[in-house]
Amino acid sequence: MDEFLSRLAEILEVDSVNDKDVLEKFDCWDSLTMLSIIALVSEVYGKQLNNKEVRDAKTIGGLKSLINGK
Amino acid sequence: MDLTFRNKKITGVLSILPKREITFEEEISNYNFSEAKSLKLKRAMGYNKHRVAALGQCSSDFCIAGLQYLFENNLLNKDDIDALILVTQSPDYFMPPTGNIIQGHFEMKHDMICLDINQGCAGFEIGLIEAFMLLDQEQIKKVVLLNADVLSPKVSKRDRNSNPLIGDAAAITIVEKDYNNSNIFANVRMDGTNAFALMIPAGGFRMPCSEDTSKMVEDEAGNFRSKENLVMKGDDVFNFVQREVPSMIHNLLSAAHTSIEMIDWFMFHQPNKFMLNKLADAIGVSREKMPTNIVENFGNSSGVTVPLNISYNLGDLLKKETRRVCLAGFGVGLTWSSILMDIGKLQFNEIITI
Repeated sequence: MDEFLSRLAEILEVDSVNDKDVLEKFDCWDSLTMLSIIALVSEVYGKQLNNKEVRDAKTIGGLKSLINGK
Repeated sequence: MDLTFRNKKITGVLSILPKREITFEEEISNYNFSEAKSLKLKRAMGYNKHRVAALGQCSSDFCIAGLQYLFENNLLNKDDIDALILVTQSPDYFMPPTGNIIQGHFEMKHDMICLDINQGCAGFEIGLIEAFMLLDQEQIKKVVLLNADVLSPKVSKRDRNSNPLIGDAAAITIVEKDYNNSNIFANVRMDGTNAFALMIPAGGFRMPCSEDTSKMVEDEAGNFRSKENLVMKGDDVFNFVQREVPSMIHNLLSAAHTSIEMIDWFMFHQPNKFMLNKLADAIGVSREKMPTNIVENFGNSSGVTVPLNISYNLGDLLKKETRRVCLAGFGVGLTWSSILMDIGKLQFNEIITI
Protein backbone atom coordinates (compact mmCIF):
# COMPACT_ATOMS: atom_id res chain seq x y z
CA MET A 1 0.00 0.00 0.00
CA ASP A 2 2.92 2.39 0.77
CA GLU A 3 4.39 2.22 -2.71
CA PHE A 4 0.91 2.65 -4.13
CA LEU A 5 0.27 5.73 -1.99
CA SER A 6 3.55 7.38 -2.97
CA ARG A 7 2.83 6.82 -6.68
CA LEU A 8 -0.69 8.08 -6.10
CA ALA A 9 0.75 11.26 -4.56
CA GLU A 10 2.87 11.69 -7.70
CA ILE A 11 -0.19 11.43 -9.92
CA LEU A 12 -2.01 13.95 -7.73
CA GLU A 13 1.04 16.25 -7.85
CA VAL A 14 1.47 16.49 -4.06
CA ASP A 15 4.18 15.35 -1.62
CA SER A 16 1.95 12.90 0.23
CA VAL A 17 -1.71 11.94 0.65
CA ASN A 18 -3.94 11.46 3.69
CA ASP A 19 -7.10 9.39 4.12
CA LYS A 20 -9.26 12.51 4.61
CA ASP A 21 -8.09 14.28 1.40
CA VAL A 22 -11.03 14.89 -0.93
CA LEU A 23 -10.22 13.66 -4.44
CA GLU A 24 -11.92 16.35 -6.49
CA LYS A 25 -10.26 19.10 -4.45
CA PHE A 26 -6.82 18.26 -5.84
CA ASP A 27 -5.74 20.97 -8.31
CA CYS A 28 -4.97 18.55 -11.07
CA TRP A 29 -8.18 16.51 -10.71
CA ASP A 30 -9.50 15.73 -14.20
CA SER A 31 -10.25 12.81 -16.50
CA LEU A 32 -6.56 12.12 -17.15
CA THR A 33 -5.86 12.00 -13.40
CA MET A 34 -8.72 9.54 -12.95
CA LEU A 35 -7.43 7.37 -15.79
CA SER A 36 -3.92 7.45 -14.33
CA ILE A 37 -5.32 6.26 -10.99
CA ILE A 38 -7.27 3.48 -12.72
CA ALA A 39 -4.07 2.49 -14.55
CA LEU A 40 -2.07 2.50 -11.30
CA VAL A 41 -4.60 0.28 -9.51
CA SER A 42 -4.61 -2.10 -12.46
CA GLU A 43 -0.81 -2.28 -12.46
CA VAL A 44 -0.21 -2.59 -8.72
CA TYR A 45 -3.26 -4.64 -7.66
CA GLY A 46 -4.50 -6.18 -10.92
CA LYS A 47 -7.95 -4.79 -10.08
CA GLN A 48 -10.18 -2.78 -12.40
CA LEU A 49 -11.92 0.39 -11.29
CA ASN A 50 -14.09 2.64 -13.40
CA ASN A 51 -14.63 6.42 -13.34
CA LYS A 52 -17.89 6.22 -11.40
CA GLU A 53 -16.40 4.08 -8.63
CA VAL A 54 -13.42 6.42 -8.30
CA ARG A 55 -15.67 9.49 -8.13
CA ASP A 56 -17.98 7.80 -5.59
CA ALA A 57 -14.98 6.97 -3.37
CA LYS A 58 -14.76 10.71 -2.66
CA THR A 59 -11.56 10.60 -0.53
CA ILE A 60 -8.17 8.88 -0.45
CA GLY A 61 -9.52 6.71 2.39
CA GLY A 62 -12.54 5.86 0.28
CA LEU A 63 -10.27 4.87 -2.58
CA LYS A 64 -8.26 2.54 -0.30
CA SER A 65 -11.47 0.86 0.93
CA LEU A 66 -12.66 0.51 -2.64
CA ILE A 67 -9.44 -1.27 -3.65
CA ASN A 68 -9.44 -3.53 -0.59
CA GLY A 69 -13.07 -4.40 -1.10
CA LYS A 70 -12.64 -5.63 -4.68
CA MET B 1 -11.35 -18.10 -31.95
CA ASP B 2 -7.91 -19.38 -32.91
CA LEU B 3 -7.13 -19.57 -36.61
CA THR B 4 -4.24 -20.82 -38.70
CA PHE B 5 -3.40 -20.11 -42.30
CA ARG B 6 -0.79 -21.56 -44.62
CA ASN B 7 0.92 -20.13 -47.64
CA LYS B 8 -0.36 -16.57 -47.65
CA LYS B 9 1.69 -13.40 -47.70
CA ILE B 10 1.48 -9.63 -47.81
CA THR B 11 3.28 -8.28 -50.88
CA GLY B 12 2.80 -4.53 -50.52
CA VAL B 13 1.47 -1.82 -48.20
CA LEU B 14 0.55 1.72 -49.24
CA SER B 15 -0.72 4.25 -46.72
CA ILE B 16 -2.64 7.31 -47.91
CA LEU B 17 -2.83 10.44 -45.75
CA PRO B 18 -4.66 13.74 -46.18
CA LYS B 19 -2.46 16.79 -46.72
CA ARG B 20 -4.11 18.87 -44.01
CA GLU B 21 -2.14 18.79 -40.76
CA ILE B 22 -3.42 20.49 -37.60
CA THR B 23 -1.39 20.92 -34.43
CA PHE B 24 -2.72 20.52 -30.92
CA GLU B 25 -1.80 24.14 -30.15
CA GLU B 26 -3.95 25.46 -33.01
CA GLU B 27 -7.03 23.85 -31.50
CA ILE B 28 -6.40 24.48 -27.78
CA SER B 29 -8.85 27.37 -27.64
CA ASN B 30 -11.71 25.01 -28.63
CA TYR B 31 -11.46 23.19 -25.34
CA ASN B 32 -12.90 24.25 -22.04
CA PHE B 33 -9.64 23.90 -20.08
CA SER B 34 -6.67 25.90 -18.96
CA GLU B 35 -3.67 25.80 -21.23
CA ALA B 36 -1.66 24.12 -18.47
CA LYS B 37 -4.17 21.26 -18.25
CA SER B 38 -4.31 20.86 -21.99
CA LEU B 39 -0.54 20.65 -22.27
CA LYS B 40 -0.38 18.03 -19.52
CA LEU B 41 -2.80 15.92 -21.54
CA LYS B 42 -0.67 16.47 -24.63
CA ARG B 43 2.37 14.98 -22.88
CA ALA B 44 0.57 11.99 -21.44
CA MET B 45 -1.51 11.00 -24.46
CA GLY B 46 0.98 11.91 -27.19
CA TYR B 47 -1.13 14.61 -28.81
CA ASN B 48 0.93 16.71 -31.13
CA LYS B 49 -0.44 16.98 -34.66
CA HIS B 50 -2.99 15.05 -36.63
CA ARG B 51 -3.98 14.67 -40.28
CA VAL B 52 -7.53 15.56 -41.12
CA ALA B 53 -9.42 15.15 -44.39
CA ALA B 54 -10.42 18.24 -46.35
CA LEU B 55 -14.14 19.02 -46.50
CA GLY B 56 -15.73 16.57 -48.90
CA GLN B 57 -12.88 14.03 -48.86
CA CYS B 58 -14.46 10.63 -48.25
CA SER B 59 -13.21 7.09 -47.76
CA SER B 60 -13.52 6.18 -51.45
CA ASP B 61 -11.43 9.23 -52.44
CA PHE B 62 -8.46 7.98 -50.42
CA CYS B 63 -8.81 4.44 -51.74
CA ILE B 64 -9.18 5.57 -55.35
CA ALA B 65 -6.14 7.86 -55.09
CA GLY B 66 -4.09 5.02 -53.62
CA LEU B 67 -5.14 2.51 -56.26
CA GLN B 68 -4.47 5.08 -58.97
CA TYR B 69 -0.95 5.53 -57.62
CA LEU B 70 -0.35 1.77 -57.66
CA PHE B 71 -1.71 1.39 -61.21
CA GLU B 72 0.35 4.32 -62.54
CA ASN B 73 3.53 3.01 -60.97
CA ASN B 74 2.97 -0.52 -62.29
CA LEU B 75 2.73 -1.88 -58.77
CA LEU B 76 -0.70 -3.41 -59.35
CA ASN B 77 -2.67 -4.49 -62.37
CA LYS B 78 -6.40 -3.87 -62.03
CA ASP B 79 -7.33 -7.03 -63.93
CA ASP B 80 -5.43 -9.14 -61.40
CA ILE B 81 -7.70 -8.11 -58.54
CA ASP B 82 -9.85 -11.10 -57.62
CA ALA B 83 -11.25 -9.66 -54.40
CA LEU B 84 -11.58 -6.15 -53.01
CA ILE B 85 -12.21 -5.92 -49.29
CA LEU B 86 -12.98 -2.51 -47.80
CA VAL B 87 -12.91 -2.25 -44.01
CA THR B 88 -14.41 1.05 -42.93
CA GLN B 89 -16.71 2.68 -40.41
CA SER B 90 -17.06 5.76 -42.57
CA PRO B 91 -18.66 4.52 -45.80
CA ASP B 92 -19.45 7.09 -48.49
CA TYR B 93 -23.12 6.03 -48.34
CA PHE B 94 -25.33 3.55 -46.49
CA MET B 95 -26.12 2.22 -49.92
CA PRO B 96 -24.47 1.23 -52.28
CA PRO B 97 -21.44 -0.44 -50.64
CA THR B 98 -18.38 1.78 -51.00
CA GLY B 99 -16.27 -1.13 -52.28
CA ASN B 100 -18.58 -1.42 -55.27
CA ILE B 101 -18.21 2.30 -55.99
CA ILE B 102 -14.43 1.89 -56.07
CA GLN B 103 -14.68 -1.23 -58.25
CA GLY B 104 -16.96 0.67 -60.64
CA HIS B 105 -14.72 3.73 -60.77
CA PHE B 106 -11.91 1.66 -62.25
CA GLU B 107 -14.18 -0.61 -64.30
CA MET B 108 -12.65 -3.68 -62.73
CA LYS B 109 -13.72 -7.10 -64.01
CA HIS B 110 -17.17 -8.36 -63.08
CA ASP B 111 -15.83 -11.70 -62.04
CA MET B 112 -14.66 -10.71 -58.59
CA ILE B 113 -15.75 -10.38 -54.96
CA CYS B 114 -16.30 -7.01 -53.29
CA LEU B 115 -16.91 -6.92 -49.58
CA ASP B 116 -17.48 -3.97 -47.24
CA ILE B 117 -16.71 -4.84 -43.62
CA ASN B 118 -17.84 -2.63 -40.74
CA GLN B 119 -14.95 -2.85 -38.29
CA GLY B 120 -12.67 -0.20 -36.81
CA CYS B 121 -9.76 -0.56 -34.41
CA ALA B 122 -9.28 -4.26 -35.20
CA GLY B 123 -10.14 -3.65 -38.86
CA PHE B 124 -6.74 -4.46 -40.32
CA GLU B 125 -6.56 -7.85 -38.60
CA ILE B 126 -10.19 -8.69 -39.46
CA GLY B 127 -9.58 -7.63 -43.07
CA LEU B 128 -6.39 -9.69 -43.34
CA ILE B 129 -8.12 -12.76 -41.91
CA GLU B 130 -10.87 -12.35 -44.50
CA ALA B 131 -8.24 -12.02 -47.24
CA PHE B 132 -6.47 -15.18 -46.06
CA MET B 133 -9.74 -17.11 -46.12
CA LEU B 134 -10.58 -15.92 -49.62
CA LEU B 135 -7.14 -16.95 -50.87
CA ASP B 136 -7.90 -20.54 -49.93
CA GLN B 137 -10.06 -20.54 -53.06
CA GLU B 138 -8.17 -21.69 -56.14
CA GLN B 139 -9.69 -18.94 -58.29
CA ILE B 140 -8.67 -16.17 -55.90
CA LYS B 141 -5.00 -15.32 -56.32
CA LYS B 142 -4.77 -11.66 -55.40
CA VAL B 143 -6.76 -9.80 -52.76
CA VAL B 144 -6.67 -6.04 -52.31
CA LEU B 145 -7.44 -5.09 -48.73
CA LEU B 146 -8.51 -1.47 -48.29
CA ASN B 147 -8.74 0.07 -44.84
CA ALA B 148 -10.24 3.54 -44.72
CA ASP B 149 -11.30 5.61 -41.74
CA VAL B 150 -12.33 9.22 -42.26
CA LEU B 151 -14.07 9.81 -38.95
CA SER B 152 -12.99 13.40 -38.22
CA PRO B 153 -16.34 14.84 -39.41
CA LYS B 154 -18.00 12.81 -36.66
CA VAL B 155 -15.81 14.10 -33.82
CA SER B 156 -16.82 17.25 -31.94
CA LYS B 157 -14.19 19.99 -32.19
CA ARG B 158 -14.86 20.80 -28.54
CA ASP B 159 -14.17 17.28 -27.28
CA ARG B 160 -10.72 17.30 -25.69
CA ASN B 161 -10.81 13.52 -25.27
CA SER B 162 -11.30 12.74 -28.93
CA ASN B 163 -10.60 15.69 -31.19
CA PRO B 164 -6.81 15.91 -30.78
CA LEU B 165 -6.62 12.15 -31.28
CA ILE B 166 -8.63 11.63 -34.40
CA GLY B 167 -6.79 11.08 -37.64
CA ASP B 168 -8.05 10.31 -41.13
CA ALA B 169 -6.22 7.87 -43.37
CA ALA B 170 -6.51 4.87 -45.65
CA ALA B 171 -4.24 1.99 -46.57
CA ILE B 172 -4.00 -0.58 -49.34
CA THR B 173 -2.51 -3.98 -48.57
CA ILE B 174 -1.97 -6.60 -51.26
CA VAL B 175 -2.36 -10.16 -50.06
CA GLU B 176 -1.44 -13.17 -52.19
CA LYS B 177 -0.75 -16.85 -52.12
CA ASP B 178 2.69 -17.94 -50.98
CA TYR B 179 4.49 -21.18 -51.80
CA ASN B 180 7.01 -21.44 -48.98
CA ASN B 181 5.01 -23.45 -46.41
CA SER B 182 4.66 -20.33 -44.29
CA ASN B 183 2.44 -20.46 -41.23
CA ILE B 184 0.24 -17.66 -39.98
CA PHE B 185 -1.44 -17.73 -36.57
CA ALA B 186 -4.36 -15.50 -35.67
CA ASN B 187 -7.06 -15.04 -33.09
CA VAL B 188 -10.28 -13.06 -32.90
CA ARG B 189 -12.41 -12.25 -29.87
CA MET B 190 -15.69 -10.41 -29.55
CA ASP B 191 -17.63 -8.89 -26.66
CA GLY B 192 -20.84 -7.20 -27.64
CA THR B 193 -21.93 -6.71 -24.03
CA ASN B 194 -19.72 -3.64 -24.15
CA ALA B 195 -20.68 -2.70 -27.68
CA PHE B 196 -21.62 0.85 -26.69
CA ALA B 197 -18.29 1.74 -25.04
CA LEU B 198 -17.31 3.33 -28.36
CA MET B 199 -20.12 4.70 -30.47
CA ILE B 200 -21.76 7.37 -32.60
CA PRO B 201 -25.33 7.39 -31.19
CA ALA B 202 -27.27 9.17 -33.95
CA GLY B 203 -27.28 9.03 -37.73
CA GLY B 204 -28.16 5.38 -38.24
CA PHE B 205 -31.61 3.85 -38.25
CA ARG B 206 -31.93 3.36 -34.48
CA MET B 207 -31.67 7.12 -33.83
CA PRO B 208 -32.02 9.15 -37.04
CA CYS B 209 -30.62 12.68 -37.17
CA SER B 210 -32.92 15.41 -35.90
CA GLU B 211 -32.76 18.91 -34.46
CA ASP B 212 -32.37 17.33 -31.05
CA THR B 213 -29.48 15.07 -32.03
CA SER B 214 -27.49 18.01 -33.34
CA LYS B 215 -27.53 19.93 -30.03
CA MET B 216 -24.14 20.23 -28.29
CA VAL B 217 -24.29 19.02 -24.69
CA GLU B 218 -21.64 19.30 -21.98
CA ASP B 219 -20.50 16.09 -20.27
CA GLU B 220 -19.10 15.56 -16.77
CA ALA B 221 -15.56 16.31 -17.89
CA GLY B 222 -16.42 19.61 -19.59
CA ASN B 223 -16.38 18.31 -23.16
CA PHE B 224 -19.11 19.31 -25.61
CA ARG B 225 -20.57 16.92 -28.13
CA SER B 226 -23.86 16.07 -29.81
CA LYS B 227 -25.48 12.68 -30.30
CA GLU B 228 -24.11 12.73 -33.85
CA ASN B 229 -20.55 12.76 -32.51
CA LEU B 230 -18.22 9.95 -31.52
CA VAL B 231 -18.24 9.19 -27.80
CA MET B 232 -16.01 6.78 -25.89
CA LYS B 233 -16.01 5.52 -22.30
CA GLY B 234 -12.27 5.99 -21.72
CA ASP B 235 -12.12 4.09 -18.44
CA ASP B 236 -14.05 1.05 -19.77
CA VAL B 237 -11.92 0.91 -22.90
CA PHE B 238 -8.67 1.23 -20.92
CA ASN B 239 -9.72 -1.55 -18.55
CA PHE B 240 -10.81 -3.75 -21.46
CA VAL B 241 -7.44 -3.37 -23.19
CA GLN B 242 -5.46 -4.09 -20.01
CA ARG B 243 -7.65 -7.05 -19.15
CA GLU B 244 -7.95 -8.75 -22.53
CA VAL B 245 -5.09 -7.86 -24.85
CA PRO B 246 -2.12 -9.27 -22.89
CA SER B 247 -3.77 -12.70 -22.57
CA MET B 248 -4.75 -12.64 -26.26
CA ILE B 249 -1.11 -12.02 -27.24
CA HIS B 250 0.19 -14.70 -24.89
CA ASN B 251 -2.36 -17.18 -26.29
CA LEU B 252 -1.29 -16.33 -29.82
CA LEU B 253 2.40 -16.84 -29.07
CA SER B 254 1.68 -20.10 -27.27
CA ALA B 255 -0.42 -21.40 -30.20
CA ALA B 256 2.55 -20.62 -32.43
CA HIS B 257 4.94 -22.35 -30.00
CA THR B 258 7.00 -19.22 -29.72
CA SER B 259 7.77 -16.45 -27.24
CA ILE B 260 8.06 -12.67 -27.00
CA GLU B 261 11.83 -12.78 -27.53
CA MET B 262 11.36 -14.45 -30.94
CA ILE B 263 9.15 -11.66 -32.25
CA ASP B 264 10.89 -8.77 -33.95
CA TRP B 265 8.13 -6.19 -33.96
CA PHE B 266 4.81 -5.62 -32.24
CA MET B 267 2.85 -3.48 -34.66
CA PHE B 268 -0.26 -2.58 -32.74
CA HIS B 269 -3.29 -0.36 -33.27
CA GLN B 270 -2.46 3.11 -31.93
CA PRO B 271 -5.18 4.51 -29.66
CA ASN B 272 -2.88 6.87 -27.71
CA LYS B 273 0.56 6.79 -26.11
CA PHE B 274 -0.73 6.35 -22.56
CA MET B 275 -2.67 3.19 -23.34
CA LEU B 276 0.07 1.70 -25.52
CA ASN B 277 2.83 2.22 -22.96
CA LYS B 278 0.70 0.64 -20.23
CA LEU B 279 -0.14 -2.21 -22.58
CA ALA B 280 3.51 -2.85 -23.50
CA ASP B 281 4.32 -3.09 -19.79
CA ALA B 282 1.38 -5.40 -19.12
CA ILE B 283 2.37 -7.77 -21.93
CA GLY B 284 6.06 -7.61 -21.06
CA VAL B 285 7.25 -6.20 -24.39
CA SER B 286 10.06 -3.68 -24.48
CA ARG B 287 8.97 -0.30 -25.78
CA GLU B 288 11.66 -0.46 -28.48
CA LYS B 289 9.83 -3.34 -30.16
CA MET B 290 6.43 -1.66 -30.02
CA PRO B 291 6.24 1.70 -31.83
CA THR B 292 3.84 4.20 -30.26
CA ASN B 293 4.50 7.22 -32.48
CA ILE B 294 1.57 7.20 -34.88
CA VAL B 295 -0.84 9.30 -32.81
CA GLU B 296 1.65 12.09 -32.20
CA ASN B 297 2.42 12.36 -35.91
CA PHE B 298 -0.82 11.55 -37.67
CA GLY B 299 -3.57 10.92 -35.13
CA ASN B 300 -5.56 7.76 -34.48
CA SER B 301 -7.10 6.60 -37.76
CA SER B 302 -8.75 3.55 -36.22
CA GLY B 303 -8.04 0.37 -38.24
CA VAL B 304 -5.60 2.18 -40.52
CA THR B 305 -3.09 2.82 -37.73
CA VAL B 306 -1.62 -0.67 -38.13
CA PRO B 307 -0.69 -0.49 -41.84
CA LEU B 308 0.36 3.15 -41.30
CA ASN B 309 2.54 1.98 -38.41
CA ILE B 310 4.12 -0.56 -40.80
CA SER B 311 4.66 1.99 -43.61
CA TYR B 312 5.97 4.72 -41.34
CA ASN B 313 8.23 2.76 -39.00
CA LEU B 314 9.31 -0.21 -41.11
CA GLY B 315 9.21 1.37 -44.58
CA ASP B 316 12.53 0.48 -46.14
CA LEU B 317 13.35 -2.40 -43.80
CA LEU B 318 10.42 -4.53 -44.92
CA LYS B 319 11.16 -3.90 -48.59
CA LYS B 320 14.66 -5.35 -48.22
CA GLU B 321 14.28 -7.91 -45.45
CA THR B 322 11.79 -10.14 -43.64
CA ARG B 323 10.77 -9.87 -40.01
CA ARG B 324 8.54 -11.84 -37.64
CA VAL B 325 5.71 -9.46 -36.75
CA CYS B 326 2.84 -9.56 -34.28
CA LEU B 327 -0.10 -7.38 -35.39
CA ALA B 328 -2.94 -6.49 -33.05
CA GLY B 329 -6.09 -4.39 -33.04
CA PHE B 330 -8.51 -3.80 -30.17
CA GLY B 331 -11.47 -1.50 -29.67
CA VAL B 332 -14.84 -0.84 -31.19
CA GLY B 333 -17.26 -3.77 -31.04
CA LEU B 334 -15.66 -4.67 -28.67
CA THR B 335 -13.40 -6.58 -31.00
CA TRP B 336 -9.85 -7.70 -30.42
CA SER B 337 -7.65 -9.65 -32.76
CA SER B 338 -4.02 -10.46 -33.34
CA ILE B 339 -1.93 -12.08 -36.06
CA LEU B 340 1.56 -13.56 -36.02
CA MET B 341 3.27 -13.73 -39.40
CA ASP B 342 6.45 -13.00 -41.30
CA ILE B 343 6.31 -9.82 -43.34
CA GLY B 344 9.02 -8.82 -45.74
CA LYS B 345 10.49 -8.40 -49.19
CA LEU B 346 7.55 -6.10 -49.90
CA GLN B 347 7.23 -4.72 -53.38
CA PHE B 348 6.24 -1.40 -51.82
CA ASN B 349 5.79 -0.05 -48.29
CA GLU B 350 5.21 3.68 -48.40
CA ILE B 351 3.06 6.69 -47.66
CA ILE B 352 1.45 9.09 -50.13
CA THR B 353 -0.51 12.24 -49.37
CA ILE B 354 -3.60 13.62 -51.06
